[in-house]
Amino acid sequence: MHRLGGAGLAALQRQQESLKSFDALSNQLSNAHVDNLHAQLDQFRNALTRFATHHRADIRSDPRFRHAFQQMCASIGVDPLAGPRRGGWWEEALGLGDWQSELGVQIVDVCVSTRDRNGGLIELSELVRLVSRLRGLEGGAITEEDVVRSIQALKPLGTGYEVLDFGDGGRKMVRSVPKELNEDQMVVLAIAAEQNGRVDEDFLVRRNAWTEERAKAVLSNMLLRDGTCWLDEQDGPNGMGRAYWVPAAMQWDD
Amino acid sequence: MNLSTYKTASGFLLPSIHSAPPFFTQQPNTATQAGFTEQWTRLLLAYARHRRLFTLRLEDAEVPGGEWDEVLRNPRINRRLMPNHLAHVLDVMVSKDLAVYEPAKQMRAVLLYWRSPDEWADVLHEWATNTGQLNTILTFYEISDPPVPSALSGIPESLLRGAIAVLAKSGRAQLISISDGDGVRFFPPRTK
Repeated sequence: MHRLGGAGLAALQRQQESLKSFDALSNQLSNAHVDNLHAQLDQFRNALTRFATHHRADIRSDPRFRHAFQQMCASIGVDPLAGPRRGGWWEEALGLGDWQSELGVQIVDVCVSTRDRNGGLIELSELVRLVSRLRGLEGGAITEEDVVRSIQALKPLGTGYEVLDFGDGGRKMVRSVPKELNEDQMVVLAIAAEQNGRVDEDFLVRRNAWTEERAKAVLSNMLLRDGTCWLDEQDGPNGMGRAYWVPAAMQWDD
Repeated sequence: MNLSTYKTASGFLLPSIHSAPPFFTQQPNTATQAGFTEQWTRLLLAYARHRRLFTLRLEDAEVPGGEWDEVLRNPRINRRLMPNHLAHVLDVMVSKDLAVYEPAKQMRAVLLYWRSPDEWADVLHEWATNTGQLNTILTFYEISDPPVPSALSGIPESLLRGAIAVLAKSGRAQLISISDGDGVRFFPPRTK
């Protein structure tokens, strides 16, 4: 019978010897692997840093370039806009965290300063327009995508900023008050968006097959509790009707 | 339908909110109404300054055809500021010293302070200085209806008295009784 390494005490010792050298060899190999990986990572990091520093100005000022850059980063699983905490060296290389925070502050500024006019609901394109005006020309152009990203970055602050998508591929609204909008309110907002801001009870009843009470309830909540719509008591041909207007869905020219 | 600014026949540029139908209704939500009141206040004072109007009455909102029609009404959307809404706005303006009930003890008419009494005092003193009328006695009529139109043309007497009182406090004017009413004498500012 042939046992591993033969029989007897000498064989046992021989076996232990060879195990030991296998161990050493494996250590050596994995060290080489790790070193190799480190080197590759360094190379990757350097290349990215070089790319980032080289194109920093473009990334910050050109929305199309920024979009392409973000797509690239997303596909390799890095988030350049994660902010100082998560971004680390990446963030330092780019300085995009600052850019993102600045945009966030400007978004909050616009949302808060228009709140008494719209009750904390603003159309996304209107928000982009007002933020752009606030940034001036030197700030560089920004897109809806940038604003949506910034709003997502605001989420951990628990401020209740949220992008509402009506799913019709068209309008999006940004809510800046920490109130949940229920389903009925979303329906009213979507209809208001179609009607240049105007809704009335009859229309809601007919369109959604709601009861009168249901239409009344959602409108009165929006009007009295949330301040997200305005009352008009001079509606209709006789000037005596009641209609409701959602300022976030109205088209302002100024 | 976009909400846009509108240039009136008198050349005043109405803000886009003026073409929003609900702007003319008094809002049941107090926060919303506070915003509306602020915008109405700004609009009324700007228009008063533009047209040099000093008085605003609830009647202006009740009956069409007055000099306030361009602001209190929007025929393009068939809306008008309701008198009770105007009363509310005036009440807030008075509480913020942007207007006073004139005459006192009623709430249907106000004198608008598109310039505060302090600002009127400066305008008045500057006018007297620039027209070389320091140290001479002027009647109120000579100030409010000067031969050459001035920044003070048409100024109501109560506003004028207020401005003179401000100047009297700093020794820049003195109220004088003359045969047919009151007059005023202006002094150069005291050098310190």
